[in-house]
Amino acid sequence: MSENAQNTTLLSELRAVGSRGNMLWNLVLRDLKGRYKGSLLGFLWSILTPLFMALIYLFFLRVVAGRGVPMEEIIIGVFAWQFTVQCVNGGMVSVSSSASLVKKVYFPRSLLPLSVTLGALINYLLSLIVQFPLIAILSHGLPFTISRLLLLPLVIILHTGFNFALALILSSSNVYFRDTPHLVGLLLSAWFFLSPVMYNLEFLSRFAASLPWLMKCYMLNPLAVIITAYRFCILRPVDFPLSAWSLAGGLLIFLLLISGFAIFVRAQRHFADYL
Amino acid sequence: MTAAIQAENLGKWFRMRGLAPQTLFGRIGTLLRGRKNERFWALQGLTFEVRKGCTLGIIGPNGAGKSSLLGLIAGTITPSEGWVRAQGRISSLLELGAGFHPDLSGRENIYLNASILGIPREDIRKRFDRIVDFSGLREFIDMPVRHYSSGMYVRLGFAVAVEMDPDILLIDEVLAVGDVEFQHRCLDRMKRFQRAGKTILFVSHALQTVEEFCDEAMLIHHGRMISRGDPADTIIEYLHRCGGEGGPVRTHEYGSRQVEFTEVRLLDEGGTESTRFTTGKSMIVEIHFHAHQPVVRPVFGFSIKSGNGIPIFGSNTQIEGRTIERISGEGVIRLVIDPLLLMEGHYFLSLSIHSEDHKIQYHRREDWYPFAVHNPLGGLGMVHLHCRWELPPAQPSHPAGR
Repeated sequence: MSENAQNTTLLSELRAVGSRGNMLWNLVLRDLKGRYKGSLLGFLWSILTPLFMALIYLFFLRVVAGRGVPMEEIIIGVFAWQFTVQCVNGGMVSVSSSASLVKKVYFPRSLLPLSVTLGALINYLLSLIVQFPLIAILSHGLPFTISRLLLLPLVIILHTGFNFALALILSSSNVYFRDTPHLVGLLLSAWFFLSPVMYNLEFLSRFAASLPWLMKCYMLNPLAVIITAYRFCILRPVDFPLSAWSLAGGLLIFLLLISGFAIFVRAQRHFADYL
Repeated sequence: MTAAIQAENLGKWFRMRGLAPQTLFGRIGTLLRGRKNERFWALQGLTFEVRKGCTLGIIGPNGAGKSSLLGLIAGTITPSEGWVRAQGRISSLLELGAGFHPDLSGRENIYLNASILGIPREDIRKRFDRIVDFSGLREFIDMPVRHYSSGMYVRLGFAVAVEMDPDILLIDEVLAVGDVEFQHRCLDRMKRFQRAGKTILFVSHALQTVEEFCDEAMLIHHGRMISRGDPADTIIEYLHRCGGEGGPVRTHEYGSRQVEFTEVRLLDEGGTESTRFTTGKSMIVEIHFHAHQPVVRPVFGFSIKSGNGIPIFGSNTQIEGRTIERISGEGVIRLVIDPLLLMEGHYFLSLSIHSEDHKIQYHRREDWYPFAVHNPLGGLGMVHLHCRWELPPAQPSHPAGR
């Protein structure tokens, strides 16, 4: 019995993905090579873009507005944000840009958003090599504690899972609605300000004091949890606000991942019809 | 059961526009639009079996549903009703380098494409040289495929697909792009597949290739299976049904119509109307005509072309020395070909009536009458030549080898 799109279930899809490690790896390589081939600076771009964002921040918030948060935290924030944005933008088109393939060959479709996510993860891991020395220089010494650093892989896994969930949902949505990219562009810019990328939780303390319930909702944003967790893992002075709400924000990731997968598996049956 | 592919009441419909409501996103889409859509049945009510080792040609005009059928079998399209099952590993011959990344080299794309088709990594490494040799692109293998020509794309794609060693090979009209030499190599390769007992589904408009290469053919028209069986017969059925509108041949007629064909009947040796003839038996063409005004010394002619358009024979009443002095009103003339020495295949008959000096065409029908020929005698080629072997004198004293 051959595999096909019609009777795929969540479990069979997962099993099929597991048996296609080789294809997954080749797709990741295609994404990475494709992204940097022909560009002069290549991989440097994925370092330069967040660094440039951090510089813009430095100028406007610190120099012009005269207030702000430690530069190290911004560095961590923008790189983490960049990881999510890469997965959102790349994942969104992962299925629709492989239209001819999806129409002709059957393979577990979730490999497409997964490969984009893994490609972005590799990028992110490489960027850590730049982030760490940069943070060490900015904080005049090593701000790391081993016990906290050990939690870092866990946060990265959580973050990757979250990004994958977004890629799954957006890639299937983009097949059916060509409005998706426009909508996502809009939501991304709002989300950028709703997440502690260019600021930290302390920055919100005044707002938190006046509207405590809204602050609780704020922590339901998985990215708020993730970025704060990164800062907690890497920087000694940062605390993680462990509460029912921040835990819920973390739990939301699992919920998103499962429902994202369920949506994708259901939607993929008719991918070939709409591409 | 030795069926490689089984389908029952297989159907697929698309919305004329917009989204299908049976999907989650489709439902949202319909809600947003708030209007209903017409269904368009791309395929409907297909029940068939393809036995293991069979090469089935699928023919039909554009938009008949041929590619949808391949998609359903490959499992990329979900049926709207019924089901289809395929036993074994399926490989599709991809469209012009589907899945190739233009910025990657041929080498990198081979690995990528092969892994998409599900070939294990070690196997790709083992088969890499064979793939490159078959594609004939060794000197370009490290060049980005962006710079490849469309023919080179297909070569590489075909090379990867056949090296996958599938149980079922789906081919959707891609070979036309390669040059003649490569097409021969592909057909050769597909013949090896046939000998290895693999199942092949072959969608093509190259009817001659379907006829030579396939064990069976299936005609699909407007999403339904019209007929299935012997390739030559199925092709004739196709030509009859769709010859004019968007069909595979450019039939045309012209002339001043002073004399017109009213009815033309092709009769077999038993005198019954048919499109199926037998090598060595007779074929009679009964031509009913109507001369609207008296015509002096008209010439009736015919010609026969092979399925791929090569003229095989043509003659007329003038060449044969049969002068017709004058015709007026209704009349019948019979062309008797006995014995019919055409070999297995499908052919086109053209008819004409013109003036003695060839200056006025009264009525001419080009490639208008398709017919199939079956050959129980064996032998190769397009025409049967009368031949005999003159053996050396028998030498009974020696135990001769055969």
